[in-house]
Amino acid sequence: MSALIENLDPLLRALGTTVLILVVSAVGSLVLGVLVTVARVSPIPVLRGAAFAYVQVFVNIPLLALLLLFVFALPDAGLLMPLTTTVIVVLVVYEAAYVAEAVRSGINTVAAGQVEAARALGLRLSQTLRFVVVPQAVRAVVQPLGNVMIALLMNTALAATVGVVELTSAVNKVNLVAAQPIPIFTAAGLTYMALALAIGLAAGRIEKKVAIHR
Amino acid sequence: MSHSGAFLYDAPGPRARRRILLGSVVSALVLAGLLALALVQFASRGQLDADRWTPFLDWPIWSYLLVGLRGTALAAAVVAVLSGAFGLLLAVGRLSQHRPVRWLSTGYIEVARTIPVLLLIYLMLFGLPAYGINLPLLWKLAVPLTIANAAVVAEIVRAGVLALPRGQTEAALSLGIRRGQAMRFVVLPQALRHVTPSLITQLVSLIKDTSLGYVVAFTELLYRAQVLSAYNRLLIQTFLVVALVYLVFNGALSYLAARLRTRVRRQVAPPSGPTEQAADRELETPVVR
Amino acid sequence: MRDIRLPRRRLPLITAVLATASVAIAGCGSSDSSDAVPGGGGDNEAAAGLDAVYEDAPVADDELILPESTMAEIKERGVLRVAAALDAPLLSQQDPSSPDDVEGFDIDLAKMLAIYILGEPNIEIVPPASETREALLQNGTVDVVFNTYTITEERDEQISFAGPYFTSGLAVAVAADNDDITSVEDLDGRNVIVGANTPAVTAVPEVAPGAEVTSFATDPQAVQALVQGRGDAYVQDYTLLLAAAAQNDDIKVAVQPFTEEPYGIGLPPQDPDFKDFVNTWLTEIEDDGSWAEIWEATLGTVVEGDAPTPPEIGSVPGS
Repeated sequence: MSALIENLDPLLRALGTTVLILVVSAVGSLVLGVLVTVARVSPIPVLRGAAFAYVQVFVNIPLLALLLLFVFALPDAGLLMPLTTTVIVVLVVYEAAYVAEAVRSGINTVAAGQVEAARALGLRLSQTLRFVVVPQAVRAVVQPLGNVMIALLMNTALAATVGVVELTSAVNKVNLVAAQPIPIFTAAGLTYMALALAIGLAAGRIEKKVAIHR
Repeated sequence: MSHSGAFLYDAPGPRARRRILLGSVVSALVLAGLLALALVQFASRGQLDADRWTPFLDWPIWSYLLVGLRGTALAAAVVAVLSGAFGLLLAVGRLSQHRPVRWLSTGYIEVARTIPVLLLIYLMLFGLPAYGINLPLLWKLAVPLTIANAAVVAEIVRAGVLALPRGQTEAALSLGIRRGQAMRFVVLPQALRHVTPSLITQLVSLIKDTSLGYVVAFTELLYRAQVLSAYNRLLIQTFLVVALVYLVFNGALSYLAARLRTRVRRQVAPPSGPTEQAADRELETPVVR
Repeated sequence: MRDIRLPRRRLPLITAVLATASVAIAGCGSSDSSDAVPGGGGDNEAAAGLDAVYEDAPVADDELILPESTMAEIKERGVLRVAAALDAPLLSQQDPSSPDDVEGFDIDLAKMLAIYILGEPNIEIVPPASETREALLQNGTVDVVFNTYTITEERDEQISFAGPYFTSGLAVAVAADNDDITSVEDLDGRNVIVGANTPAVTAVPEVAPGAEVTSFATDPQAVQALVQGRGDAYVQDYTLLLAAAAQNDDIKVAVQPFTEEPYGIGLPPQDPDFKDFVNTWLTEIEDDGSWAEIWEATLGTVVEGDAPTPPEIGSVPGS
């Protein structure tokens, strides 16, 4: 325990870094992911193809490989950004693919008959989306998106492998000096669980808000 | 004409078709422009020079990387088998009638799902040796991955079981089969067939996770890429090539999963009420790490 | 660019045990793989030089291989198991285009030891994560460690050391056009790159309390970070920095070693016979000049001047 208290200051700062990366990447990936979904369901074949390719690339290539590519390799082509910024960029483009998948399957839960009914009533595409599809899809999508955000939290730990001092990296450093792995790693694990729980609770509340009461 | 958004709009008329064509041209131009920008940037730093790419046409480099790919496959296979078995047990445990078993399984799943694998790997690598626990390299990677993946597999299987109509269990029970047997012979076989696509998707995510072998210096693809790039100093080329290898292999698996998914969906009764729709959604939601 | 590989016809049998994927290579590689990797092909003079060194390498008299000893066990097995790196240029570097070629100061010495015991350079390499070297020796996975292994009293409590066979220390590398950093004191207030879990992590704050320390997992990553300007300086073991600077025109070694790191040969604990045996061998190759020749062919290629005098055996606490 003593090791935790002695190193509370750097550990808290590292936790701050983790939360910062989490929040910025979460917002970024949600926005980008929705844009990718829009392209994915758009009537324009080129955009659909591009969005499909985008999702395939980031769902099938390991995040760690992307991190190494962006942090250590791309600067050779003149693309150099600060470490934490680079990590956030990689997390945003990576998780956006998962956000897009979740949102798309949310849209797919809306029965085709509903859309047809809306069209039969003379609603335009934008109106169909706004009044029929999105309100129903949102409900189906909150929980999966919550899971994507928890996965994002887990993935922020990978920043440690490229030299960013976030929570995982910091506890590892503290342990190397203090050599008290059990209390140190347990505390870190509990912190991650608490953050994940917070995301889960938030998702639950939002889900309740958008639920229809039949 | 049955892409995922197709049901959102009518078959386009002449005016809409013109607009779509225009949109296609514009977006193609924009995408091509972005690509050209990237290529110009790469070329300006000499990254497109032939001599930076031709080494990858030689067999020795590929044989070097293939040894890494073998390690990736080995680690993935070990973790897939272990977390498959363990995950199945956990799923059954979470659905069990016995409260302690249910609580234990649920508790494990919730904990394991919310701890970063890297933290577990660091614990294995730097923490546990202090207590005299020092596993071989493969297991320093495989144990943390199994701990995490088993929980995900358990959730996928459980979703599959829950999606199955209750009548299946009830019919089995009314025939006088015991609960455990009903689970084993009636529920699980059907549930597993329905969640096979999700399990394959999870296999892809597991293969991606084996790249953490890089951290423990286990010989897998990404670790070999790192050693290779340190030697040949072709970082961009090496990592792009290796990313492509991952894309090809995992892409093939993802494609398989997508094919199976449409087949399974056709086999399951067409969604009519909200319950089945919810079930369908559970089956489809990609499980992510 | 250098390449000190042996001619194919007498390629030593090296088995690189890479965790699970064990790559066993029989002695006669035939492919023309050397050009597959930039940096391959070249300095045949050095190779020829080492060839002669191996040819004339001392072999232990039979009475030195005590019955029931570790040496006898190795001889029986026919291969020396070594914990060594695969990615340390000039020290122990694997050629990715032909994985059976591992070259460098550490690994060439290991081959010499193998010749001393077995009569031929048969070694099997186990790459350690640097935390597990004591464990590898304790549980008998390897016979010896040649891995820039600093002799310390703490480690000596868990294992034994022969040597020291080389004295290195932490030094400072900077970008080639950086003339602001000429001593460790200049690191104060700078952004300093270190390797994670290396002595530099604690040493840098001691000599330069105001330095901002960023740590990277591997040496190549840290070098890359220095080249990209993610830090002003990189503090790491002198030999590693020399190797990095030799490969990379963008960086230079600006500060000579400011600590003393005596490298020892890690041996299993409580094995005084084996320790005496290895020290006898070390004395022999230092006296007959092959130590210096190996130094010249490896680290010496990037250092001006003659080979240094090897440190006195047993001169360090813990050895």
